[in-house]
Amino acid sequence: MRRIGLGIIGLGYIGKIHLRHALKLRNASLAAVSDLSKKSLNEAKELGVRKTYTDYKQLLKDPEIDSVIIALPTHLHLECAKEAASAKKHIFLEKPIARDTSEAKNIISAAQRNSVKLMIGYPLRFNTEFCRLKEKRTSGVLGDVEVAYATFVSSGPFYHRTVDSAPAPVPEWWFKKELTGGGALVDLGCHLINLLRWYFGEVKEIKSYLGYRYNFDFEDHAICLSQFESGTKAIVNVGWFSQEYQLKVELLGSLAHARVEHRPQNRLATAAQMLTMGTSEFHHHHFSELQYFVDCAIHDSDPSPSGEDGLRDLEAIRRAYQNSIKLG
Amino acid sequence: MGDQRKTGFVEAQSTRRICGLGMSLVSFAKIRGNTHGSIKQAIAESLDLINYSFGDRVKNVVIKPNLCYYWDYTTGQTTDPKFTAALIDLIRERLPDQPDISIVEADASAMKCTHAFKMLGYEKLSHDKNVRLVNLSEEKGKRVQVTVGSERFRLIVPKTVMNADLKINVPKIKYTPRETKITCAMKNIFGANPYPKKFRYHSRLNEVVVAVNKAMKFDLCLIDGNIVSGNQPRKLGLVMASRDPVAIDVAAAEIAGINPNTLRYIQLAFKEGVGNMSYSPKGLPISYFKERYPQRNFRDRVMGTAYNLLVLTGLDRRIGL
Repeated sequence: MRRIGLGIIGLGYIGKIHLRHALKLRNASLAAVSDLSKKSLNEAKELGVRKTYTDYKQLLKDPEIDSVIIALPTHLHLECAKEAASAKKHIFLEKPIARDTSEAKNIISAAQRNSVKLMIGYPLRFNTEFCRLKEKRTSGVLGDVEVAYATFVSSGPFYHRTVDSAPAPVPEWWFKKELTGGGALVDLGCHLINLLRWYFGEVKEIKSYLGYRYNFDFEDHAICLSQFESGTKAIVNVGWFSQEYQLKVELLGSLAHARVEHRPQNRLATAAQMLTMGTSEFHHHHFSELQYFVDCAIHDSDPSPSGEDGLRDLEAIRRAYQNSIKLG
Repeated sequence: MGDQRKTGFVEAQSTRRICGLGMSLVSFAKIRGNTHGSIKQAIAESLDLINYSFGDRVKNVVIKPNLCYYWDYTTGQTTDPKFTAALIDLIRERLPDQPDISIVEADASAMKCTHAFKMLGYEKLSHDKNVRLVNLSEEKGKRVQVTVGSERFRLIVPKTVMNADLKINVPKIKYTPRETKITCAMKNIFGANPYPKKFRYHSRLNEVVVAVNKAMKFDLCLIDGNIVSGNQPRKLGLVMASRDPVAIDVAAAEIAGINPNTLRYIQLAFKEGVGNMSYSPKGLPISYFKERYPQRNFRDRVMGTAYNLLVLTGLDRRIGL
């Protein structure tokens, strides 16, 4: 079986999760990583990564690398993805695909022009429980799913970060709408909209309420009321306002109801799993999505969620912004 | 002396007598309800219980809330802007000459004032109450040298703090994984140190906390214990007041279920003459709040210790936690 050479661009929060998993993938070897932080690069070296670059353009020139995982801040997706496509590297791009639909279209056409695969990082699509929910929906055991509730609430980018046990600041780009493309609806909402589109088809109609608890010029929480092609109505509830992580989806059908909740474990259980398995139950879907991406590259099959999926999600979010309503 | 509380720390008590410091008053008042008026009333009550007057001829007031991170007051981690607003109104009621009021905070390792002021509602408060917001890390100040035991610290006292003639410390009560075990009045003043990379002090945190409190002496400590952060946040409705940061920290530790005699920074502060370890309580009995404080249980402590061990050994980083 052919092995593919992987490179990771960006070793922030999600980049480091991918780094751990990439080292354990079947039929792939992690050839190099790139990041501006030398500390992060040294950590990668300690884990066994041979080549490290401070400039991702050098990584893209590396002939050992067939595919790249781009885990950069959203405003850097377009340029990096275009360069990766020009360098003929298959691309796994973290969600959201871009800041806006125009950037997303540019990324998709760059991938098409260069005949490289483009997959967007939506790990819930690889989560066993959410996959079972999809099976229940398609098998008919729920009947017609009239209403879906999808909630993703956490502290968002404002969790307590540490680097080498020292508190670390929230990266500045998170505070700038022009760099993120939006607030919680883009950051968390794209996960849920993508999942619901997978379950129920395209979004026909969507309205939103946008909340500003933290006084930013972008929303820190949002409630969307939407209708999908299947006729299912969904309430999508996202927020950065809570210390408690909650991610759950509930489907209310004409025959039965089903509910899935993805819960964080306590840190010691996570530590024990990381020590024994190299991953944790909580993060295992990140491993599965990377393995799928590698398999697509090896077998020359088109990955899903694709760039088009990422674009459709952003289009729905843009419509939600346009159709926002005020309360009170 | 019937209401005198003793910490039972004999050595410190004898040292206190040598230092010749008197008994400090610490008051305990209850916020009844959650309105601006009820908070203001409880603050007023707590001040009256310790016979505190803002003084006269006060021109510049500094208020130092605890805005340690971007977590709002409902978490019990940061000072409620409603509490600060009530305090501002009370100051203006009691000081007819309308002093300039500044709310001060300094950048920290993980927190930038510019974001914290906005996110935690202090920008709006500044606008509504016409008070100044000051990021102490962006100010000039005076260099001072402070000695704590055999250690010498070079610190900067920011201009706004230096020039204030009334300085009010408005901390929270909460647990911390650091050596000080709790964060309250004295640790909040450590946060006024303008040097942003405060984690660099963590190896000798006890000494630095005392040093900063020696360099920046605040006139009044007023604890916002409306919502407290223990093993989980809870509405406690507590206001505590004292002129003495050590005495109020002793009382706060007791409420949080920590023996103050085990807190080295408190002992050090006492030895350095920052305040008393004994106090005379006024108002509601401390037991009322102690019983209701969400204290850490055995499981929390074991989990916390185990996780700290992972961090201390660097295992957390190696396994990718």
